[in-house]
Amino acid sequence: MIKKLIFIFSVVLIFTACGGGGDENTITGPDSQNDVRSVQIDPEKINGLIESFPSPIEMAATIEDMKVPYSKKHLVATEIAADFDSNFDKALGLGMLSADLGYLNVYNRKNAIVEYLTSIKRLADALDVDQFFEFQTLKRLATNSNNLDSLMFLSVTSYHDMDEHLRKTRRSDLSALMITGVWTEGQYLACKVNQFKSDKKTEEIIAGQKDIVKELLGVLEFFDDKPKFKKMNDQFRELLKLYDTVEIKLIEGEDKISYDQDSIPVIEPGEHTDIIYTQEDLNKIQNKIIKIRNNLISL
Amino acid sequence: MKKIAILIAITSFFIFAPGEQAQAQCKQQRVYHCARKGGNAIYLRDFNTKLKAVRSERSINGTKWPVVLNRGTRYRFILCTPSGYGNDVKLTLFDSKHPETKPWNSTEKSGGDKFDFICKRSGVYYVSIRFKQGKGKRKTCAVGILSFVGKNQ
Repeated sequence: MIKKLIFIFSVVLIFTACGGGGDENTITGPDSQNDVRSVQIDPEKINGLIESFPSPIEMAATIEDMKVPYSKKHLVATEIAADFDSNFDKALGLGMLSADLGYLNVYNRKNAIVEYLTSIKRLADALDVDQFFEFQTLKRLATNSNNLDSLMFLSVTSYHDMDEHLRKTRRSDLSALMITGVWTEGQYLACKVNQFKSDKKTEEIIAGQKDIVKELLGVLEFFDDKPKFKKMNDQFRELLKLYDTVEIKLIEGEDKISYDQDSIPVIEPGEHTDIIYTQEDLNKIQNKIIKIRNNLISL
Repeated sequence: MKKIAILIAITSFFIFAPGEQAQAQCKQQRVYHCARKGGNAIYLRDFNTKLKAVRSERSINGTKWPVVLNRGTRYRFILCTPSGYGNDVKLTLFDSKHPETKPWNSTEKSGGDKFDFICKRSGVYYVSIRFKQGKGKRKTCAVGILSFVGKNQ
């Protein structure tokens, strides 16, 4: 009896010790469902870099805040998204459509929101992250409710939950593609806004991305040994090269603290950056961003 | 026989008991309510963490997250904790030039549970949520919210 008890206990102990999710230091490569190879990378480093990237709603909020009129024509057409066939394309598309959904949310375009939600749901299903995309609730909020806050909140949290799940299930390659999609689509919209009505603010958003492009490439180059990543990364390397002529100068200064009408403290750092660029630099960068985005959706 | 069964039961408890690891992050409802405290600011992301009780100076206290902020944007940071913990936890904003010990700002430094930050340099910053010095006798959860107030230039 005692021997039996000890045996059962030992077996349970061995199985417990062997469980727990396997080797945390292995992250599968791109198109992980089709590709059995795995890339040995530091998951903490890459996950930290990916996690730091802006929310899919930030660029849309910036554009709306600058009082730019709404225009749907620059968004990724949902018919195009239906043709994304590899996991690589689907993850990129998921990021781009999430940025577009952010744009539609801040401009409160309910009919188009439902159309984009349906497309995102299809991509999320295919990437097996649909459990984090609360499609029915989002659709109900978009069609029946005036509660824009809830719709925006749930759209953004669904995006972050899908991204987090991909990283937790060692599909950081797909997560990296999602943030690439968000960043590229956001910058593409900024470029289109600037082409429509150029102003200093929009120009500086585009020219000021030098360090962000470096960060993004820092993530993407983890997957450089995969042909599809290599091809895409080459385009981002060319873009980074165009930023060589953009100078970002750090200027020292005194920090200021003030209080707004709701008594919230507002910190304004004295230390700031001046972005020095020519119109030629900016045009080259803009054209490259537009080209990269259009190449990515015609993969 | 009885002694062995007790021994196995005690050993099993220490091996299998979830302990503080199982202390969950704050529930989604709390995150949503915290996001709504931002007023008209647009919710961008949250920093949801479990805070283990601080048992010694060497205990891991809280979590930090990297976050890319864009130049010219005014961001709002909000900290929410379950009732009774409001004065125990702090949210800190820092970067590589302004380390956590000398941060851009924190809820502790400015008082209250929220502050705005006008970003003057695009790049990676860090947000941490930790127990304040001398606090943290009981475990809890805490949520930080980052939201978009507007362009500032």
